[in-house]
Amino acid sequence: MDALYAWLAELAKRGSLPKVFEYPFITRGILAVLLIAPLLGGISHLVVARRMAFFSTALGQAALTGLTVGLVLGEPISAPYGGIGGFCLLSGVAMVWVKRRSRLPPDTLIGVFLALTLGLGICLLVAATRRFNIHQIESVMFGSLLTVTDLDLLLLLVGVVVWVVLARFYNALLLDSLHRPLARVAGVDDTLLEYLFVVLLTCAIVVSLKVIGALLVEALVVVPAAAGRNLARSTRGYLAWSVTAALISGVAGMFVSTLWSVPTGGAVVLCLAALFFVTVAVGAATGRGASTER
Amino acid sequence: MDEPPLLEVQGLGVRVENLTLLDGVTFQVARGSVHLVVGANGAGKSTLLAALLGQVAFTGSVQRHWQKSGKVAYVPQAFAVDSTLPVTALELLALTRQRLPVCFGVRAATRQRSTALLDRVGLTALADRRLSALSGGELRRVLFANAIDPEPELLLLDEPGAGMDADSLRHLDQEILDLRARAGTTVVMVSHDAEQARRLGDAVTLLERGRARTGPPAEMLAARGASGAAAS
Repeated sequence: MDALYAWLAELAKRGSLPKVFEYPFITRGILAVLLIAPLLGGISHLVVARRMAFFSTALGQAALTGLTVGLVLGEPISAPYGGIGGFCLLSGVAMVWVKRRSRLPPDTLIGVFLALTLGLGICLLVAATRRFNIHQIESVMFGSLLTVTDLDLLLLLVGVVVWVVLARFYNALLLDSLHRPLARVAGVDDTLLEYLFVVLLTCAIVVSLKVIGALLVEALVVVPAAAGRNLARSTRGYLAWSVTAALISGVAGMFVSTLWSVPTGGAVVLCLAALFFVTVAVGAATGRGASTER
Repeated sequence: MDEPPLLEVQGLGVRVENLTLLDGVTFQVARGSVHLVVGANGAGKSTLLAALLGQVAFTGSVQRHWQKSGKVAYVPQAFAVDSTLPVTALELLALTRQRLPVCFGVRAATRQRSTALLDRVGLTALADRRLSALSGGELRRVLFANAIDPEPELLLLDEPGAGMDADSLRHLDQEILDLRARAGTTVVMVSHDAEQARRLGDAVTLLERGRARTGPPAEMLAARGASGAAAS
């Protein structure tokens, strides 16, 4: 990777690339955003179609708790993936397991898990801050380009696997989202799909945490799809607009973060929110997307 | 020797919490017949279809005597579409007719096959319209198109004519009869329409307060009329 950074820095010095590419951490950030945007933007339109926006929020909170669990158990703060991944996976699978057996509305159950994980996270945070500076923990909570390492970039390649598996089960997932009994008659195993999707969503969230941050990552699995819906007229358009929204806001947010020294996650989410309101206006003006055609 | 019925339902019961929705329902569905299920609102018609599909827990037994593909197709009564979800009629049909994820596009062969299906229900012009922009009747026709390819051995329809105008209803009746003639499909259909039951039904199962009686359409519809009059 060092050779790549050196080559890009050389190009930047010659004026072939913007000056910011002289810094390896910027190059790493851009690479991270280019990998994260299609991953989270792509998965977001299924998250929204399957009405799992609140579920994603709970997973984001579980990531914060997972971080503190990992740190308390002795994980390094530069790569706290064991705690985050393990706890998110446990929370996600537990939420689905309880949801499938309870008569309570899903949002009520998710609220219970949200409270549970947040309470646990806050208690453990006190223990974690005895070993680590709170600013180090903040960088994982809010995302930071400075802390992205080559290992984080390699982990983002997990996103490719997530994409391949999603593509394999995409039609079944969408049919199941539209009408579960119809999907079952078509031979879809909705139990398998529900757990599989939670595992894929967890993987996508965990590998994106270092850049976007635990508290803001859920925004990237909801808002791109919300923006996409304002413009899309078909499933194909929905995916394309969701990924485009994530890419534009990811790159813009990264530059905003660098220029004004604000957390990357916050900057990306602000750009995304701004883009969402642009799509609301464009959708209303052109009669596209969520407006009903007849 | 007589051909066995396609479906044999014996003592079927469904309870949800402390409520008995179906109790001791017993009937047979002859192979290649159009079997109507009628009854008042809340009589358990949709629950019966859900039990036949194996989608609710039930007591008793449902035996299926397949002789062909064993493929079951289903047209649900309710298909609540999220109005902001941009799935078109063509894409819905493509979901089960191609392996390529629909978000990457609909293959030419799938488009041709799905358009031909929409043509059979008179909706070719609405192929690229979002599901949320279709009327209730149009949506049911799309779901019917989805159900008839590949030709099923058993087709379960839950009030497929609801929300359709007279022309569309006649068209639907004809499609059901054509499907039976062409593929020998057995049809079990929930209907509120007594006229449709008389036109299409080879047999009618009347559900009343969770229990069932089966007989010829004229007899069962008369019994339904009499019990309705008694109730009022």
